[in-house]
Amino acid sequence: MDSSFDDVWAECEDLFAQARQTLATLKEPQPAHVVQTSVNALFRATHTLKGMAGMLGFPSFSRAAHRMEDIFDLMRKGRLRSTDSLTETLEAGILALESGLEGLRRGRPEPDDYLQSLRRELGELEALARPAQGGAHDLSSLLDLPSETLKALSDYERTRVTAVLMHGTPIYGVTICLDFATFDERLRAISEAMGARGELISTLPWDVPEDREGLAFLLISACTDPTPGELSALEGEILGTTLLADPARVPASLRDEAPAATPAPEPKQEAEEPAPVAASAPEVEILRLPVHRVEALEARLMGVGQLRDTASRLMRQAQATDVEKPLALMGEIEEGLLEVQKSLLQMRMVKVETLFARIEPMVKSLSRDLGKPVKLTFVGGDLELERSLLGRLSEPFLHLIRNALDHGLEPPSERLAQGKNETGSLRISASQQGRNLRFDLRDDGRGFDLARIEARGLELGLIKEGQPQAPEKLLRLSLEPGFSTQERASQISGRGVGMDVVRSEVEGLGGEIHLSSEPRRGSLVRLTLPLSRAVVSCLKVRCDSQVFGIPLGSVHRVQAGRQVLRGGDQVEVLGMSLPLESLQACLGLPEPDMQRAFVVLTQQGGAAASVEIALGVDEVVGRGEVLMRSLPELARSPGIMGGSPQEEGILWVLDPEAVMGLAMDSLMRRVARV
Amino acid sequence: MSELGTWLHVKAAGRDLLLSTLDLREVVAPSPVAPLPGRPRGIQGVVIHQGEFLPVLDWKNLPGCKEPSTSTAALAVLRPRLGIPLERMMGMVDVLPEGWRETEVDDPAWPWAGAAGLIGGVPVALLDAERLIRLLRRFRSER
Repeated sequence: MDSSFDDVWAECEDLFAQARQTLATLKEPQPAHVVQTSVNALFRATHTLKGMAGMLGFPSFSRAAHRMEDIFDLMRKGRLRSTDSLTETLEAGILALESGLEGLRRGRPEPDDYLQSLRRELGELEALARPAQGGAHDLSSLLDLPSETLKALSDYERTRVTAVLMHGTPIYGVTICLDFATFDERLRAISEAMGARGELISTLPWDVPEDREGLAFLLISACTDPTPGELSALEGEILGTTLLADPARVPASLRDEAPAATPAPEPKQEAEEPAPVAASAPEVEILRLPVHRVEALEARLMGVGQLRDTASRLMRQAQATDVEKPLALMGEIEEGLLEVQKSLLQMRMVKVETLFARIEPMVKSLSRDLGKPVKLTFVGGDLELERSLLGRLSEPFLHLIRNALDHGLEPPSERLAQGKNETGSLRISASQQGRNLRFDLRDDGRGFDLARIEARGLELGLIKEGQPQAPEKLLRLSLEPGFSTQERASQISGRGVGMDVVRSEVEGLGGEIHLSSEPRRGSLVRLTLPLSRAVVSCLKVRCDSQVFGIPLGSVHRVQAGRQVLRGGDQVEVLGMSLPLESLQACLGLPEPDMQRAFVVLTQQGGAAASVEIALGVDEVVGRGEVLMRSLPELARSPGIMGGSPQEEGILWVLDPEAVMGLAMDSLMRRVARV
Repeated sequence: MSELGTWLHVKAAGRDLLLSTLDLREVVAPSPVAPLPGRPRGIQGVVIHQGEFLPVLDWKNLPGCKEPSTSTAALAVLRPRLGIPLERMMGMVDVLPEGWRETEVDDPAWPWAGAAGLIGGVPVALLDAERLIRLLRRFRSER
């Protein structure tokens, strides 16, 4: 894809993020004017997306965005009411467009209809919003304004006047006169203040009184009380306030129609406690930067860090008497550099809950379509993942969720017959395991059908007749390209492409996928994804001249200096005898004759039982935070999670789980030798 | 394999080699290689290149190669992010289409050299980046 369009893609991403956030706002009860502001924002976003897709040469996407824009237009004109089910449909629509855009970005061909799966829902919405025979009503003539002024109102403004009057909200006119020099700034401030109190329907030029200079405007607003004194207006700026239309004048026959086609009613507590909403939150200016610029800055910082390390080393070598203060300053520079590096790292990260927020509407929509109620649980939303992973994970998750709901979870009647709760369960949890981020998707459905997988594997020639297959191997078959046990592709899944896509995407990110299942109890899909960098709190230990970092979360105890130790010894720790292995033996380095310290590593087992082992080292140096970078694939070494350049060379950060495994292997070899 | 393009004629691991410029990111001055505990066969350690770890090839683990006799003069950075220590750079050369011959399967360098180009009438092995990466991955999986 042409890199000159990078900015356009980036802007599309921003628009989708805003749309998702705004739709999340609509899920909570909001005052009518906030609903209106949100719907307007969504209308603008889809309108812009439509234009951008046209510019990028994707007509099908442009058509789909146009359809969504139409729905938002119907909402903003008051012809569709914001309800939970409408919001869910719109979320699913936005999600379909977003995932379609991600596909286009990666060079996939355009589908005919991005909104295929929502065709029924969108059709119903459009039918619902269609005006009754005789066309839509126009109550703008009820406004107490000169006919010339009425003619200046746009169609949209007329529909809004009609909708709010039918809803029973009065319409006020506030005339203001502003100084030439500052009118734009002041008009914006007053408009915002009015928007916060109600719905600002229109801003029209007005006649300037003879005794005044400047520019005058009429602000038409739907609200229960405009209270001009509280509109942030300066003295003399407000000329007057009049009631332009009283909803009592709306014919009773029209008022009866209002519930079917008006904005959401204003909550009673609105005046006392306006709900916090994104639409009225202060705008934060977003600075978008190409990733390579941030990477270049990181590389430069790393270079500066290396210079500092060299300077510090030279100072120590010089053995001058007054190096204490400069060395302390060097320490401060080091801390400052780490803080800047952490800030840069932070820019790359987003909370896992951002991914969860994308998943939730998918699940709700699928659950509704399939008629399978689901209890959805998320765990670990506070963890962070790299922003670059976010876009690439949406599609794999979509496939996994489709599979879980379509094939995994049984229909309610079948669940009841099996003594299960009618509502299925889908639990998506994230956890950090060393340098990896792990996602577990667990459902309580029927589990994978191993017999059918085996039959299909034989049919495709992936396995041979008569050879017993381990369940793990059979489960992995379902990740092969084109593998599907479904005889007929459903609209939801079963096309045989999903799991293959998941596998290739996860492996493309340097990760792994693992499946497990129990008949009638459910299945677990585990995705393990490496993080390219992370700030790790470490215990620093030395072996020979090499310094290692052990993540503090795995360090149970540190003991040093009491006795001479060797690999294979047993050590007493708090009344327990633990096997000791030297770190050098674990990593295949020359083993020392003796070691004077050990670190007790602990690993939490599945059922709260923990495994502990003592790791012999030459010296415990101290503790500290390091910015760890992962090793590239070709350099990955057992037991090493990543590295961090330090004054004394690269500090290798150990992967505690892997080191414990290496230690156990090494101890077993010792036993075998004896 | 494309026979068009320009080739960098170098000396590495005691033998003459050709590197395709299409496979090269850049050639940089050498920096000390940080040894990596438990490093995979074929990798001697890492250097920091553009803020990231760059694995550096260990020639002596490759079939048909011996330990470099002289110190590293430059590091060629391949596109698949691998550093290749070079002893000397002779210059850019062009090889005529008819000047190529496939590496014999019984040639010890076959796992990483796809072909040989005639330079001054003498066949010079071409380092095939894809084959080399496959070989290093195989080393890792055999561990």
